[in-house]
Amino acid sequence: MTWRYPVWALIAGFLILLPYLGLLPGWTPALATVTAFMALSLIGLNLIFGVTGMLALGQAAFVALPGYAAGILQKSAGVPGLVAIPLGIVIAVIIARLIAEIFVRLPGIYLAIGTLGFAFVVEGLARAFPSITGGASGLVLEFPVAMTRNTWYALAVISLILGLISFALLVNGKFLRTLRLVRHDELAAQVLGVNVARLKANVFTIGSAYSAVGGVLLAYYVGVLAPESGGVNASLESLAMVIIGGAGALLGPVVGAAGVQWLFAVAGGAAHYELLVYGLGFFFVVLFAPAGIMGFFGRRASSAPAPGEAAAASQVSIRPTQDGVCLKVENASKHFGGLRAVDDVSFEVRFGQIVALIGPNGAGKSTLFNLVSGIEPPTHGRIVLEGADVSRAPIHRRAAEIGRSFQVPRLVPDMTTLENVAARLDHLPGVHQESARKQKARAQLAAFGLDAFADRVVREIGLGFHKLIELARASAGDPPLLLLDEPAVGLTADEVARLGAALQRLKAEGAAILVVEHNIDFVATIADEVVVMETGRLIARGKPAAVIADPKVQEAYFGALA
Amino acid sequence: MNLLTQAVISGLMIGAVYTFLGIGLVLVYRTARILNLAHGESFAITGVAAALLVGKAGLPLPLSLVLAIVAALAFAMSLHRLVLRPRAEWPPGTLILITLGAAFVVRGVLILAAGTDPVSFPALFGGMPLRIAGGVIPQQGIALVVLGFGISAAVAVYLGATRSGKQLLAAAENPYAAELLGVNVERARLTAYGIGGLLGALAGVLLIPLIAVDFQSGLAMTLRGFIAAAISGMSPVGVIFGGLGLGLFESFVGAYLGALYQDPVMFCILIIVALWQSRKIRFGGSRRA
Repeated sequence: MTWRYPVWALIAGFLILLPYLGLLPGWTPALATVTAFMALSLIGLNLIFGVTGMLALGQAAFVALPGYAAGILQKSAGVPGLVAIPLGIVIAVIIARLIAEIFVRLPGIYLAIGTLGFAFVVEGLARAFPSITGGASGLVLEFPVAMTRNTWYALAVISLILGLISFALLVNGKFLRTLRLVRHDELAAQVLGVNVARLKANVFTIGSAYSAVGGVLLAYYVGVLAPESGGVNASLESLAMVIIGGAGALLGPVVGAAGVQWLFAVAGGAAHYELLVYGLGFFFVVLFAPAGIMGFFGRRASSAPAPGEAAAASQVSIRPTQDGVCLKVENASKHFGGLRAVDDVSFEVRFGQIVALIGPNGAGKSTLFNLVSGIEPPTHGRIVLEGADVSRAPIHRRAAEIGRSFQVPRLVPDMTTLENVAARLDHLPGVHQESARKQKARAQLAAFGLDAFADRVVREIGLGFHKLIELARASAGDPPLLLLDEPAVGLTADEVARLGAALQRLKAEGAAILVVEHNIDFVATIADEVVVMETGRLIARGKPAAVIADPKVQEAYFGALA
Repeated sequence: MNLLTQAVISGLMIGAVYTFLGIGLVLVYRTARILNLAHGESFAITGVAAALLVGKAGLPLPLSLVLAIVAALAFAMSLHRLVLRPRAEWPPGTLILITLGAAFVVRGVLILAAGTDPVSFPALFGGMPLRIAGGVIPQQGIALVVLGFGISAAVAVYLGATRSGKQLLAAAENPYAAELLGVNVERARLTAYGIGGLLGALAGVLLIPLIAVDFQSGLAMTLRGFIAAAISGMSPVGVIFGGLGLGLFESFVGAYLGALYQDPVMFCILIIVALWQSRKIRFGGSRRA
């Protein structure tokens, strides 16, 4: 890792010296300066959209805003330039944060429309108040320090390289895993303990900071800030450059900005065709080459096990509460309008106990699971976890205590098995170092006999193993309660046997396990207790053999067979 | 001239346009689960095409309008049939991005075809404007209001009360179940894009002679259509009231504060809608679309 910094410094030094050595012909330093500042601002959009997948359709607003804020402070309020510029950046970032807070909790399309609308606002206001903003002819900006063409160029190269280094350092390890998880599956991310809304707001804020820094420097370099630079077309063009360069790749913004700017410079003329070129580039890359130009250079090789990352035996950390009860569902009800999906259900799951929840389709099993894991709040009643009432706690707050698997596994297909498990450990207290996390994830996989898959991308692994991998992920970090949604469905007899052994081991380690399962033979072999639901109500509870023999259960559940 | 009456009249006209656009967005969203960001382009395509056919090519107005509507319809339906449908399994975010790319390409084509200045074409319903209670409404405006709300109401009734309309909506709620019940989901979606494109085009035919259109009108229309749809919670009936309310509000802001405030005020409405929607989903941190 450390060898990289001298290399970066060498590249930077070489690039900065180019014009002094006379190696850049006449017009190129100016274009390179514009391109570098633009690429710096695009790093932000690359983080927000490229890596995290948030549709930010008005990012140019945050590129132009700091320039306007700084310029207006300088001109109308007489603030010195060296204060006004940082202040302009801060103002833009604060506004970005406010906008993010408003829209990130809603489905992604609200952020898309909200940011698009904001770009209309910034451009519209810049035109509406010519006395302050310079109107359509633009705001004239004066950089507080005397700069030559070559010093601007050096500043641009240095700031772009710093931007790229900070991006590479930030978007790495735990943070990168979390972003990919959120991008792929927000619900799975919440269940693993990610506060998705806060994360997205943070990403938008950090990304907009890049946009603001690059934008303010570009504006002061050019010397005039025009309203359209904060508008919808400029935003779409930014998006096009990131997409064409390679969304999510470190150098994507640089390649995109350089490619497009130099293409136009060589083609010459400010004719109206530029918009169509951007549009067609955007459209066809999204359709046919989603990884953009960087996609042709191949992806990073997946990480091989680092030395000293050998699997270590996991230490079980489950400590039962005094009464031995892990989960207590107390008179829980969930009504959707007139429908009572869950109606006054009470039961408990003890540490070291496997409880199977069975019932016909529509009995309310999934809804009950959602109440326990926090996807929905109960209409009445309480969910008590290790003695604490969590009925109203959001999903991510109870994630450390609950490991959950889904009916259809929700793994991130383009991450390795190891990364998928590590993504769980990322959000649990206790493990802070990347190497320790990887080590623990490897040990967890070994315990499930999955070591051979550790460094393989999930997409390439047979579906039969996904259930087991998800179980390994859910139980990583030894959460006291496991919620497993139909873990045996679609598995071969061999795989079911493996699963049964894994559950017995987890039970022996003290975990409380609640399973929804249709496979009655499987339930009869593993469950200590069976809870039967029908149309939202709990109709029977007890030892598997007794419950299955109960005529009420026979009628409700096996009606067709009996 | 009475400012209040005039504001109500222009609010009705703008509201009719937003309703036209909003109901198309809702229809596509409810059948294909996609928010079509290229939706407003039908409006822009119709306007620019008609203006060029009448102005530059010298074709008669009715023929120009028919050709322009056909162009918009062809765009909307081929976007679905040729681009989105073959990629139905792609993540929704990527599909939305594709619709944005399509909108972007349309902008690029329109700016080449018509330049940056707004263009327009003659009204279909000429004749003397009517004077009502101190306000003035052009005959085209009356047609816009009547047809805008009339057709949108007809679409809402069709969706809510007829068998084939209900099937159209069922296609989105659960495509597999709908397929099993004999609903042709694919045809339902193509119909939705077609109706959406047609309504966008009609809005263009009726409104543009009163204002004008330029290459970037499409996304502005999509934005307003979306706000109208979001206010109503994506309901085909609600969007009529959403569009009407939004149109009246924008018109009053324009009349009493000045047209410059319309974009910021529109954005504030969007923020209010977003906060209102978030209130329901504070639990659990975020909602799944």
